Amino acid sequence: MKQTKIIAGHFLKVIIRNRALAAVYLVWVLLVLYAAVTGYQTYTVQNAMRQQFQQQARQSWEANPDKHPHRMAHFGTFAFRQKHPLSMFDYGMESYIGNAVFLEAHKQNTINFSEAGFSTGLLRFGEISLSMLTQIVLPLMLFFLGFNAVAQQRENGTLKILLSQGAGFRSIILGNILGLFILALLFLLPVLLATGAQLLLQASLPEDGHVFIRGICILLGILVFLWLVSVVTICISTGSNNSRAALLKLLGIWLLMAVVLPKTLQAIGSALHPAPCKIEFDAAVEKDILRIGDSHNPNDPHFKRLKDSVLKANKADSVQQLSFNYSGFQMQEGERMSAEVYNNHLQALYGLFERQNDLSNYSSFINPVSGIKNISMALSGTDFKAYRKFQNETEAYRYKLAQTMNGLQIKHISNTRPAKDGQSHSLGREHWTAFADFRQGFQPVPAVVQQEKLAISAMLAWLVLSFALIYFTAGKAKAL
Amino acid sequence: MYRLAFRNFIRSRSVIIALVLFLLVGIVSIFIGKQFLEKQQAAIEAVTQLQKEQIERNVEYVQDQFGLLMYYLRFAYINPPDPVTALAIGQQDVNSSIQYLTIRGLEGQRYDTGLYNPYNQLTGNLDLSFVILFFFPLLIIAFNFNVLSQESELGTWPLVKVQVNQPLRFILQKLGIRLIVVLALLFTLLALAILIIGLPPSERLAAYIVTAVLYILCWFAVSFLVIALRRSSSVSALLLLCTWVMLCLLVPAIINNYLTVRYPVKEAYSTFIKQRDGYHTKWDKNADSTMQAFFGHYPQFRNYVWNSPKFNYMWYYAMQQLGDDESAPDSEAMQRKLRQRQQSAGTTALFFPPMHAQLQFTGIAGTGLEQHLHYLDSTAVFHENKKLHFFPKIFGDSAVIGENWAQHVPQYFQPANPVKWALLVMPFIIFVTMLGAAGILIFNKNEAK
Repeated sequence: MKQTKIIAGHFLKVIIRNRALAAVYLVWVLLVLYAAVTGYQTYTVQNAMRQQFQQQARQSWEANPDKHPHRMAHFGTFAFRQKHPLSMFDYGMESYIGNAVFLEAHKQNTINFSEAGFSTGLLRFGEISLSMLTQIVLPLMLFFLGFNAVAQQRENGTLKILLSQGAGFRSIILGNILGLFILALLFLLPVLLATGAQLLLQASLPEDGHVFIRGICILLGILVFLWLVSVVTICISTGSNNSRAALLKLLGIWLLMAVVLPKTLQAIGSALHPAPCKIEFDAAVEKDILRIGDSHNPNDPHFKRLKDSVLKANKADSVQQLSFNYSGFQMQEGERMSAEVYNNHLQALYGLFERQNDLSNYSSFINPVSGIKNISMALSGTDFKAYRKFQNETEAYRYKLAQTMNGLQIKHISNTRPAKDGQSHSLGREHWTAFADFRQGFQPVPAVVQQEKLAISAMLAWLVLSFALIYFTAGKAKAL
Repeated sequence: MYRLAFRNFIRSRSVIIALVLFLLVGIVSIFIGKQFLEKQQAAIEAVTQLQKEQIERNVEYVQDQFGLLMYYLRFAYINPPDPVTALAIGQQDVNSSIQYLTIRGLEGQRYDTGLYNPYNQLTGNLDLSFVILFFFPLLIIAFNFNVLSQESELGTWPLVKVQVNQPLRFILQKLGIRLIVVLALLFTLLALAILIIGLPPSERLAAYIVTAVLYILCWFAVSFLVIALRRSSSVSALLLLCTWVMLCLLVPAIINNYLTVRYPVKEAYSTFIKQRDGYHTKWDKNADSTMQAFFGHYPQFRNYVWNSPKFNYMWYYAMQQLGDDESAPDSEAMQRKLRQRQQSAGTTALFFPPMHAQLQFTGIAGTGLEQHLHYLDSTAVFHENKKLHFFPKIFGDSAVIGENWAQHVPQYFQPANPVKWALLVMPFIIFVTMLGAAGILIFNKNEAK
């Protein structure tokens, strides 16, 4: 143990004396600052903007005068997606998902205006976020700083001396890993400070965001990840004949895990489960809706049957004799059916997307970069499931809006048509304010942890494996 | 000697492995591009079929009211992919290339997105342009980093200097051999792409190839400069890799972050709300004032009777029109902002070859932001033409049967997207010349020592 400590101290001393480190660290801090500032700006500006538009949309909803409730169902409202505070740390899929949706009766609109739609081709190179720096750039820097830790000692013969003085391979390896890990923590420090500053500078944080506990979980994940990076660097350095070979191997690993595997596996995943395009999707939905009943077709058999049974049950000869508004009733039924069909299709499509993503999720077991990426995105509220939650919430709200307005029509609107030039049927505006605005929620932390259990168990497996790797590398290592 | 050196290089096992690997990745990327193209084609066929069916069905149901019929009918406007799209998918997986619109308000429809898996978009497409932009530099670095330092380290450099009277020419020859191999790989991939995807020869394809070749030359120039510095193999490798990380990973991402923060597209949201309010609030306003505003926009429809007891679809479409009219300033402001983004990106890219190459690739294939903005503009014209065609029939209450419905097939966007050769070529040439000159200068200085 003492030897390990001495070797770790020695590793750090050599590295810190190196002039290159100061330059690398300076570049690192600048990158962290840039990512932190742009992340902070994007979050605060976008969230403030979206809140403002959410309010504006609400104001014009409430400003509606007395009118027929079905006009309000068509007037509709908007939902603007709020970013999770930790999206300042990890952008995840933020740029690729829509931010605003128009919610109206009869029609499920797409969530529009993703940042990607506004972007130039440069977006394809990626974005700089604190998490991208920690997960992609930092490993590369650690590889550069640690590739010759043991390999160089072998090249210049000091390894032999060290071994002859009684230091075992295991403590040499462990010591260097510890040294590199401490170095990694030094690099992590500005990231932590920057994230802390981003959060503390906010006037308020959403209560159900659970920023603190989510942040701690991400930190734990990153610590495991950086430990793995340190272990791999030193073990490769020990196992290679010279430092050049070590560097080449490490670069190969980086390229494979950070760039090639994520892209290729996702490409394979989507090729295995081809998804329909929007047009094909819409056509399939429309076909199903027409099959079960078209409320716009006056001769539709389903709605004809419905009418007959309603009349029979109420012992009436015509809808005019009913005590409630029949067309509201028919629309309620139509909305229920079409929403069900649409949601079945949408959930099936999203299920397909999840299957496309499965390969990337399972790849955590061969690629820890994917593991930490998935965990960090999920906890930052910027992954596909967080988006899916938002989508479900907006659809639930849309449905409630349409059915509430249908309900008001059923209850308050007369069955007789208004006389020509007479006042059309209308309802007091107090009903509009009584219908609450859209509210977005974030997933509870246990649900996120549960949903990422695959990635979490992969990271734990990697942690166990890292000690096995140290053991085997020490066993196989040679002094020359 | 040149031939010997060539054989010596090409026979090395690691070189062969690298080439085979690149060939495989390249072929995968070609198939990804082909699949993308096929998907686009399938979507075009689907919408063509769908439009035909829904026109037939609705015309059968709604025979007596032209205005009501036009509430339902949708018309497709298609941005057809150029075959070269398969080599540079760009933003085309994000931006919808089919607009399927009713003649109601445009602003509420034209920004509707497709249904995409965001994870796919996050990882991005592995198309050939990505392979060239991202991976080719690494191959070039791996081939070149020790061209000179190896000779020094193995002690052969003094021998070489005795045998050749111009050491610079010797180095350039060695680089030349590697350039030939890299270009051979590129042309093999392009030939495969032409065969597999079935690309017809075109100016665009030529521009794509020229961009790729010039981009590769840029990385040879970078390598040459680093070689001329005469550092050890490992320092050279590190320098080159740092350059790669900077140029291909960090700088473009830094610029992109800057653009996002500098130009937040607030106008998208305000267009969205104003369009809805502009239309819906008219239901509660005096119909006459709505109609006067409408006639202000379209004086040619003044003569129609709009308050006939039989129908008031004219009033309905006038309200829809006002939604567009009242949100027009915001919509224009949004487009302006997106153009600013595009311009800033283009200007910055002039100084960074990977960014310039990426924007040129997507520009050539028509898959960048610029062409998408043209497509959106042109969509407005398409929508306007449809309105001008149908408004008189609605307002005059024409017979539905009287319309030749078979003529309403999807229409295609025809981009005027000429290849801007000078803009494409110049930044690369300036970059290569400058680095080359600096390299020769430094090399000669070091040699004189």
